[in-house]
Parts: sequence; C-alpha cells; structure tokens
Amino acid sequence: MKRWFKKNFPWLLLSVVSVAAILIGAVYFRFVSQRTFADSAVHLQEIYGQVDRSFTAFITRSWSFLGGCEDYFDLARERDGVVEKYIKNRQQTWGFTDFYLLSRDGAVETLDGVETPMDLGEDWDRLMDEGEQIMAVASLPEGQTAAVFAVPVQHSAFRDFAYDALAISYNNADLARSLNVDAFAGRARCFVIHKDGRVLLSTQTGGNVFKNYLSYLQAASDLDEEALEGIQNDWRNGLSGLLQCDIGGESHCILYLPLGYQDYILLSAVPQNAVSAGYLSIQRTTIIALAVLFLLVGATVLTFIFWRNQRQSRRDRTELRYRERMFDVLSNSVDHIFIMLSADDHAVDYISPNLERLLGIPAKEARQDLRVLEKCSVDYDVVIPKEDLAAIPLNGSRHWECAYRHQLTGEPRWYRMTVYHMMVQDVEKYVIVLSDRTQDQQINRQLQEALDAARSANEAKSNFLSNMSHDIRTPMNAIVGFSTLLEKYADQPDRVREYARKITASSHHLLSLINDVLDMSKIESGKTSLNVDEFSLPELLEELNIILAPQARAKEQSFTFHVQGAPPEQILGDKLRLNQILINLLSNAIKYTPEGGKIEFLVSEIESSASQFAKLRFVVRDNGIGMSEQFQQNVFVPFCREINSVTNSIQGTGLGMAITKNLVDLMGGVIWVESQPGQGSTFTVELTFALPEQQESACWFQQRIGRMLVADDEEDICRDIMELMKDTGVETSYVTDGAAAVQAAVQAHAQGKDFNVILLDWKMPGMDGVEAAGAIRQQIGHDVPILVLTSYDWSDIETEARQAGINAFMPKPFFVSTFRHTLAPLFVESAPPAEAAPPEKDDLLDGRLFLVAEDNELNAEILAEVLDIEGARCDLAVNGRQAVDMFLDAEPGHYDMILMDVQMPVMNGYEATRAIRASGHLQAETIPIVAMTANSFAEDVRNALDAGMDGHLAKPIDIDAMRELIGRLLHERGEAAGKERAL
Amino acid sequence: MSKRRLSVFLALAALFLTSCSPSQSSSGADGVTLTMMGRKSDLEKSYMTAVIDRYEAATGNRLELISYEDAEFEAEAAQRFAMGDVPDIFLHFHNADLAAFDVAGNFRYLDDESWVDDLTDSARSYCTDSDGHLLGLPFWESSVSGCYYNKTLLDSMGLSPATTQTEFDTLCQALADTGYTPICWPGDGCTWMGQFGLDPIFADDPALLQRLNANEITYADIPAVRDMVQWIADAADNGWFGSVPLQTGWDDIGPALSSGDAVMTFIWDTWFSTDFHPDGTYTPDDFALMPIFMNTAAGGTYEGGNLNMMMVNKNSAHLQDALDLLAFCADSENYNTAFDGISTVSCFKGQTTNIQSRMVTDAQSSIAKNERVSTAASRIVGYSADDVASALNDLISGRTDVDGCVALLDRYRMTNAGWLQ
Repeated sequence: MKRWFKKNFPWLLLSVVSVAAILIGAVYFRFVSQRTFADSAVHLQEIYGQVDRSFTAFITRSWSFLGGCEDYFDLARERDGVVEKYIKNRQQTWGFTDFYLLSRDGAVETLDGVETPMDLGEDWDRLMDEGEQIMAVASLPEGQTAAVFAVPVQHSAFRDFAYDALAISYNNADLARSLNVDAFAGRARCFVIHKDGRVLLSTQTGGNVFKNYLSYLQAASDLDEEALEGIQNDWRNGLSGLLQCDIGGESHCILYLPLGYQDYILLSAVPQNAVSAGYLSIQRTTIIALAVLFLLVGATVLTFIFWRNQRQSRRDRTELRYRERMFDVLSNSVDHIFIMLSADDHAVDYISPNLERLLGIPAKEARQDLRVLEKCSVDYDVVIPKEDLAAIPLNGSRHWECAYRHQLTGEPRWYRMTVYHMMVQDVEKYVIVLSDRTQDQQINRQLQEALDAARSANEAKSNFLSNMSHDIRTPMNAIVGFSTLLEKYADQPDRVREYARKITASSHHLLSLINDVLDMSKIESGKTSLNVDEFSLPELLEELNIILAPQARAKEQSFTFHVQGAPPEQILGDKLRLNQILINLLSNAIKYTPEGGKIEFLVSEIESSASQFAKLRFVVRDNGIGMSEQFQQNVFVPFCREINSVTNSIQGTGLGMAITKNLVDLMGGVIWVESQPGQGSTFTVELTFALPEQQESACWFQQRIGRMLVADDEEDICRDIMELMKDTGVETSYVTDGAAAVQAAVQAHAQGKDFNVILLDWKMPGMDGVEAAGAIRQQIGHDVPILVLTSYDWSDIETEARQAGINAFMPKPFFVSTFRHTLAPLFVESAPPAEAAPPEKDDLLDGRLFLVAEDNELNAEILAEVLDIEGARCDLAVNGRQAVDMFLDAEPGHYDMILMDVQMPVMNGYEATRAIRASGHLQAETIPIVAMTANSFAEDVRNALDAGMDGHLAKPIDIDAMRELIGRLLHERGEAAGKERAL
Repeated sequence: MSKRRLSVFLALAALFLTSCSPSQSSSGADGVTLTMMGRKSDLEKSYMTAVIDRYEAATGNRLELISYEDAEFEAEAAQRFAMGDVPDIFLHFHNADLAAFDVAGNFRYLDDESWVDDLTDSARSYCTDSDGHLLGLPFWESSVSGCYYNKTLLDSMGLSPATTQTEFDTLCQALADTGYTPICWPGDGCTWMGQFGLDPIFADDPALLQRLNANEITYADIPAVRDMVQWIADAADNGWFGSVPLQTGWDDIGPALSSGDAVMTFIWDTWFSTDFHPDGTYTPDDFALMPIFMNTAAGGTYEGGNLNMMMVNKNSAHLQDALDLLAFCADSENYNTAFDGISTVSCFKGQTTNIQSRMVTDAQSSIAKNERVSTAASRIVGYSADDVASALNDLISGRTDVDGCVALLDRYRMTNAGWLQ
C-alpha cells in the first residue's frame, strides 16, 4: 500500500489539486451566479417596474381621454361632424385604432355608425354595473383581436344610438410595442395577463400563440404544483413576484407585477442568460481568463515536467547506453559468457557478444536457438533440461562444470556454469553465467606438467647421477687401471702402446661426457646466446658431410643428403649452433643405426610467413634401432637414455637430445621425433632464418651455360637439381645411369647441341661417373666440362678421375652456389694457379718454435713434451703479461705460433692476445695465436676469435686436433706470406 | 380449381378482354358506346362505378373502360395516344404528366359547359390551365391538406394556433419547451411534405413556374426555395420534428398523433377517416386545422385536393355524347348519389351527401383565404415526391446541408425531366 502510494503520489496529488480547483471554482461560480441573479433580478424589476408604470400611465391616459370625450359629446353631439372631427384628431394623436359607442346590452357601433360585433369578455357586465373603467381584449370579426379601453358614461345617444360607455381600441401589435423593451437582446417576452393566466396582450412580434400563460408554465416549466399555486395566489392577490424556472431546458426569470388596474398583471419572461448577459459576459470572461491562466500554468507545469522527464529520460537512456556499451566492452574483455533466459519458454533474452570470440558461434545464432552450443560442447550438454532449471528455487542458483571447444580454432575452454533463478523487472528469468576457467585449467595443467617434469627431471637427475657415477667411473677405472698396468709393463712397448691407446680412448669418452654436462648446464642456466651472422647453407652442409660421412662410411651405412626445393643458400643465423644441432642428430642416427643401415638427411624450405625469412626443415631419417613410444616422450629430457641391450652397448650421456632441443628452442624452432622400435627414427627440425638483403644473382649462368645434363641413379636427386636450376634459366636434363649419360652427351654432340656442362654422380650402378666421363671424352672430346657429384671423399679417386677427363668435383648435396663456385674456374680462360699441396703431415711441427703461455706447470710440461715428440720446441710464459713481453722481445719470425692459455694470473689470454695484436710488432697481426683452454663452449671459441686469436684448442689437448689446426694455420700463414712476397 | 382461383381467373380474363378491345366508340342498336381510359384503381372507385352504372342505366349508352395498372398507365396511355387511339373520355390528374397527351390538340375546353358554375372555386381552379381554360370535369374525391393540430393539447398548454409564420415558429418552440414533438414529420413513405412548402412559391407566381419548367432557372435561383429548405433545417435542429425524426413512417403518424407524442402534422382531412386509428388518448375530435407554415407563405397555406378530371376527346365521333356524359356526372342528383357517404371535400357547390370534415368546415374561412392548388407535385416538370422526400431526409438527418439539399432537389428534378443524364 505504501509502495503503491509512493508510486502514484504525483497522480494522487494532481487529482487532489484538480478536484480542489474544481470545487473552489464551483463554489466561486455558484456564489457569482447567485450574486449575478440577485443583481439581474433587481435590474429586471427596475426595467419592468418602469414598463408597468409606463403602461399604467398609458391606460390611465386612455381612460382620462374617454372621460374627457363624454364631456365633449355632451357639448357637441348636436353639432354635425364636430365630434367626428375631434375624435379623428385625437386618433391621430393617440394612435388608437377605432372609437366605439357601447350600449348596456352589448351593442357596439363605431362613430361612423357601423355596428360592430365585439366580445368584451365575461366581466363586461359586472364592470359596467360597477361603473369601473374597462380594459379588455375584444374579439373582432374575421378572428381579429384588439385591446379595448372603455369607460362607463351617462346613458346618452349619439345619432340615435343609445350608448352607456365610450371605448377606444388599439391594435394589439401597436399596444405591445409600448410594453416592449429593448433590453435583454430582444429575448424578453412581455404579457399583460389576467389573474387566471389568460393572456390579454403580448409583445410577441407577428402575433401571439400564448393563450393562458399559467397553463403554459404548467406544461412547459419545471415548476411544481405548489409553485404554480403560489404564483396563482400571487396573481389573485395582486402581488408581484420574481422566480426562476426552467422552460424548454433553458433557465428563465419570470417577473410579474400588478398593473394597478383591476386584476391585470404585467408578466415578463426572460431567459436567464439574457437577464444576466452582462454579468455572464464578465463571468464568462473570468472563466475564460481563469481557464487560460490555469491552462497556461498547467501547460507550463506539464512542459516543465515533460522537460524534466525528457532530460531524466535522456540521462537514463544515455546511462543505459553507457551501461550497455560498458557491459559489451566488459563482456568482450573478459572470457565470461552471460545469458538470460525467459523462465516461461526458455527463450534467449540476452547473450553476450563475446560468445563468437570465445566459442566461435555468432551470438545472433545462439540467440535464436541456444541448442547451437551443443555443437561445441565437449563433455556436457549445455542446454540445461527444463526439469533442472525448474528445480532451481527462485533467488537460488546451481552450478555445473562444463567444457567447450572453439568451433573455428578447436581451442578447448573450460567454464563454470552458474544458473541464477531470479526476478528481473518483475519477470521471472534464468541468468546463466559461464565463468571462464580455462586459465585455471591451463595453470593447473601446467603445474601438473611442471610437477611431472620436475619429478621426471629429478628422477632423471637421480638416474643421471647414478649413470654418471657409472659412466665416469668406467673410463676412470680404465684410465687408472691401464695407468697401473702401464707402470707395471713399462718395459714392454707393445703393451705400453696398447694401454696408452685405451687410456686415450677412455680419456676422450670422459672428456666428451664432461663437455656435454657442462654444455647442458650452461644452456639450462640461460647463459647461452646466439651469434647470428650470415653464413652459407651449402658450406654448412658440406662441412657436415665432411665430418659425418666418414663415420657413416666406417659403419658401411648409406649416408645421403637431399635438398628439396630451392632453399636459400645465404641465411642469417648461428651457424655454430645449427651445426651442433645437426651434428647431434646425424651422429645419433649413425650411432644408433646398425652397420649397413641407411641415413638420410633432407633439407627443404617450407612456406614462410614473411618474404624476408626462410623457414627450413631439416629431417634426419634412419632405419636404426628406433625408440619406444614411451621413450619418445622423454627423448628430449636431460639425462634420459633408453635402457636396452643395444643402447647399453653405446656410449652416451643422455644429454645430446636435451641440448639439441634446448638449442632449437633457443633458435625459436621446433623439433619432434617419429619413431618405431626396430624400424628407425625420424627427427624433424624446423627453424626460421632471416635472409640477407640480397641473394647473389645467378644470371651469369645464362651467359655461359644454356644446357646441362645430370646423371644420378637416384631420380629424386635429379629432380631436386632440376628444381634448383629452374630459376637459373639453365635447361636441365637428367638420366639415371652412366651409359644413358654417355648416350645423351653423344647424341647432343651429334646434333650440334652439346650440353654446356655435364654433372655425373660418382657411384652409379653399372657405369660409374668416372667411367662415364671417360667414355664421353672419348666420343665428344674435352670441350664440355664434366663434374662429378659425390658425397664421398674423392681424394682417393681424384687422380684417376682427372685422367678420365673430369674437370672438377662437387659435394652432395647439390647447391647452386656450390655449383657456381665450382664452375667458375672452368670458364676462366687462364687456368687457376695450381693449389699448393698441403705440407706432409709428419713434417708439420718439425722445427717449429712455439711461445706457450700456461700458468699450470703440469699442463705446460705435457704440452712441451708433446711438442718435443713432434719435433717442435717451445718457450714457456707463466702468464699473459710474460707472454706478451717475450713476444715483443723476440725478433720477427722467431716464433712460429703462440699457444695461449686463457685463464691465467696477471693477464689472461684474451688480454694478452689483444696486446700482442696491438703491439706494433712486425708479427703482431700475422703470428698465429691459438687458444688453449678448458672452456670449450662455442662462446669460448667465439670469444677467442673475437680477441684476435686464430683458433681454439680445448683442454686436454688432443694432439691430432692440435696438429691439424697448427698445420692449417701455418699453411694459411705460408699462403699469406707468399702473397705478401708477391706484393 | 377452387372457387377463389376460378373467380380470379375470370376477373383476369375479363380484364384482358377489356384491355384488348378496340378503344373506338361505337353505336349499337340500343345506344352509344363511349370509351373511357384511366387507371384501373381510379376506375374502380365506388363513386366512379356508381355514376357509370347510373349513366348506362339512364341513357342506354355503354361505357367501355380502358384501364391500366397504375405503374403502367402513363406509358401505355401515351403510346396509344401516339398511335392516334384517343378515348372519348380520358381520366387524368392535372399534373405535369398531362403534357404528354397534347391537351390542346386532343381535348375540348369546357369553359362554356352549363355545369361550370356549380364547381367550387378550389375545384375549378385545379382544373383550369394557365390560360384559364377548364380542361375537365373534376369528378373525384377531394381533400384539404394543411396543418392538423391537437387542439385539446394546445388548449391545455395555454397555446393558440398560429396565424402567421412567426406565431407558428413560436408555437413550435413553445410546444418543444413543453416536451412534446411539435410536428410529426415522418420519413420513409411520407413523400408529400415538401410540396406543401413549394406550392405557394409557384402557385403565387406562375411565371416562376413557367421559367422553371422551361429550364431557364433552377431551385437554386429561387430564394424562397432556399428559405423553405433553411426553415426545415432549422426546425430539425430545434427539435421540432422530434429528437429522432425520420425513423417513423406512414404507419406511425396515427399513433404519434393519437398518443399526443406529436401535436401537429401536415396532412389532409380524409386521412383522419381512412388511416387514423385512434387507439390512444386523442381522437379526430381533438384535432383542428390551421395553415401549413414552411416559411414560404406569411399567412400559411393549404393545398387543395388532386382531382381526376374527365377530359373529352374533341375529335371524338361521339363528342356530344361525351359532353353529355360529363353533364350527367355534373348533375347534382347524380353526383350526390355517387358521393353519398364519401368522405371528401366538395367539388360541387351543390354537393350535400358527401361527408365533409369538421376540421375543414371549422377552418373554412382560413382555407378560403390561404388555399392553393396543388402546384408543385402537379405542375413542376420532373417533380418526384420520392426524390424531394429523399433530399429533405438527407437534410434532416445531417447528410447534407441546405445548399446541398437544394442542389439535390435540382438534380433529381432535372434528371427526371431529362435535362441531366
């Protein structure tokens, strides 16, 4: 009730004010009406009082005139024509219609002697007897009536007509004019009536139809019998009166005044609004003014209210729009879905627009039929059964857990569905909130995975420690054991060499183990960074081939490289790390593939999202021992090794794949493995490399080579070469055996369309490349360059091949750039200078003088002994500073090379190198400086090079590696020296 | 076949044989056979059959009646006239339709007949054409149309009958003030009201009628017509026709007057003897007659009766026999015999056996002063009482205004006259 009252208060107030205004108005106008009527009545009485007096005076004058006529008749009746003349004269003055002589017996004669029938009414005799003056309405012939005034006179005779009274008549209309008033807009009706209501005279223009006004009032007015009786009594008693009554639906004022003669009454009936016309006009004006004022005030108030409401409404609408917009933004920015259902028919009243973003279903579609959500429901039917909704009490809620999958992306999302049963604007609704729990789920999953990983890592580390204990102890045991035996059998050279070889092998294994552990440790600690630089992919692959092909060949494995498509040859990346990745994969493939197995290495470019990047795929496939599915899950987990009879016999740390995986991750790539136990494994690495701004154009090919022939027993390689050459504009044909190559070359020659270059695989069934080259030379001569394509070391056959007419060798896989570089010297008119033969291995160190900077006496001693064994000598410096000083003090050419430890007191190796390079010594820039350090990581190599060193040797020093490096550096120095001399 | 069916069959057969017989008069061994053509219902009037029987019996002549159903009469008769088949005596009202029968060419003027002076002024006036020639013998029942009012009621209300238009209007308003319906103005089926207002306009100004019938002017050109229409509109607005006019009809006039619901109506005296069935408070004795006031005559108007005239074929071979027949009918003994007990206004001064209405007798002096020949309905070319009633009904019901009503009256009239399509 209170709420209703509050809600409807404005209307109630308006109603009360309106009713009060109406009541006040009614009281006011009733008061005014009463006052108006009172004033009007006075006005009416004044007017008709005057009429009454005027008419009374008229009839009095008429009777006086008739009285005077009696005397005149007495004087002049005998004089002929005098009386007539006098009467005519008076008639003109008084305006009466006729003059009559009346006898007591009712005979009437005009002055002209015309007898006129005249009915003077029933009172005639009485009045004559009583000698009263008479006023009557007389009926004349032909239905005419006239007002007749008569006075009794002495019985006399005029022209033999005996008369007892004299009379004059007035035309009713003429007489009525004397009763008429101009007031009341002509709507006043005035009568002279008898006390019984009979109408004698009327002011009605054009005649009178009112015969008895009392009867008329009885029939036409709303006066009751009592009122009518009162009126009649007044009339009988000669009283005046004023009353108000309704005649024909219109209010009238009825005023009656005794005429002052006999029982005649002057009666006027005037419509009330005519009587009060003036007052009513004021009243009407007042009403109109008040109404206008009221309307104006009302209109102003309503306008104000309307304006205020509009403003409020605008505010509300704006706020609503803002709210809607904010809600849209909110719902779009959160991953919660909001739905409102009608409780009646479960029709969707609202669904948040983020539905499409979150689940891939347009909100509009869901709004039409919520069952579309079933499509993306994973494990729960989202359309809540009606009975479930109905079971939720009003103002209650219920929860469900559900999962969906994005219709477009397939991304799974988890939600907590809460259904609220509530009243919304007095309408029963279900509000469904799908609270996104995806992140929670993912975090939980990640936590679980992290937990699992931690457990696995912990387990792996435990296993590793266990393994390491075994792996370290095993070579150490060999080293210690054979060292003991070495002492014991020092006098037996064969045994000493055998024990020393085994100690060396165990030492290498132990060193490899330590290197991997340290490398892994560094990667995991995040200290590894990439050194991105431009490098040649073909060169990298060639180096891989050089390193790994011998290993595969040692196990009689098929080791083939394939390049599919046309991958870019120059790329930007960390060549060292990529090399490390691929060596790990390939060496593992070789390691875990039995002898005679097959290892394939495929390189291809896959589609990249941007033109300035190249996405390369490296696939290492073998048909080796493979991996169990369970181990595949952990193959990249550090310290994990599959335990079986085969792997147990293969040395490994369990860190290679973990390092590889970490390096791939570091380079932003992906790696995965597909494997079947006993059938082999396939490792795939996808890496994205930036491309240098310009790739070298191959257009020169078009100037020199128009056609080329390729012969390889592997047709895939032939097609790859054709694909690679497609962009060069060189027309490439291929055959798959040596004989066909010979035939094609001869046929082309016969047609005068020699191939510009012939590319032959070395190892082909039947006629191999060398044989085919010889046959071609025999038939078409030496004009066409012939190249041999091989993944093997061609040094063993080089002499034979050149004799057969082969111009050059190319490593597999085929790269255009390699091809171009190989061909270039062949198209130069002057033959290139013969490549200087590398120095004999045994003489490489003989007689050389090294400056060795080493703070560790033991290491220095070992190194000095090794160099001594090789025929070289060395000067020792115990720190970098001393080394620098010794170098600066030495004559140019005194030292052949500096072997520089890195970590030394006073001045480390890097600083010493920089000091030497900057010293201004004649050999400051040219003397080879090789780092010797236990820091064997790639960064260490790079740091050494950055410091100005020329190479890097990891401790413990591998004599072969040292010999190879020193040999290479000395050889290069020799070339440089030669060039300097030539200059 | 039942007796009733047989009698109907014989009557129809006789009618058919009569209709198909030659219209030319002939002389037989026992007398002359004259042909008389008229409406079937007219020829079957009792006073007609009475005078014909009396004539045949007295003269030995025979009257061959050529009759047509009312609806077919005008067309059939005109066709026979067009073929030269003109009867010896032709029975027709003096109205506009008479022009189709070439009055001057076919009929003899009767101005010099011996019985002319015995005709009442009203009857003689009706039968006289615009040139003053008497066209036929009015041997017909007649009546006086006027404003018949309930005198008892008026007296009880202290009111007098009106003698002027102003008084009539005052009276109507005074009656309306008392709650009575002043004028019973029935709608459907009561088609005569309009002609009472139009009569004075054209009866008092024959030249106006002539110009109207010559299509030189229209109602719209005549202010008095508009005044009449305006008065009707005002009367309706003032409630003088009752609060719900036009829902009554012919059959409701009697009950309305008898009950006292309505005080006055415009009708004719014989209606009180033929159609007023006093089953309410008031009887014909309570009623009196005053003129009709429709704002077209200051002193009001009465409309004289529409009379069937016996017109004589001036080219007839039996012209004299036909004239003798008219003289026979105009003989006081014969017409008093024929009209004995018939309620009608007298057409002959010597008519004594007919029943004359007290109301008409009481208003004799007023009738003598204000009566007019039925002019509108009879003399206006294209006049249709139904059309006039329709136009006035539209006015009273508010479907059209005064000017629209006048236009409708003109359009109907001119369409009927063939001046409009």
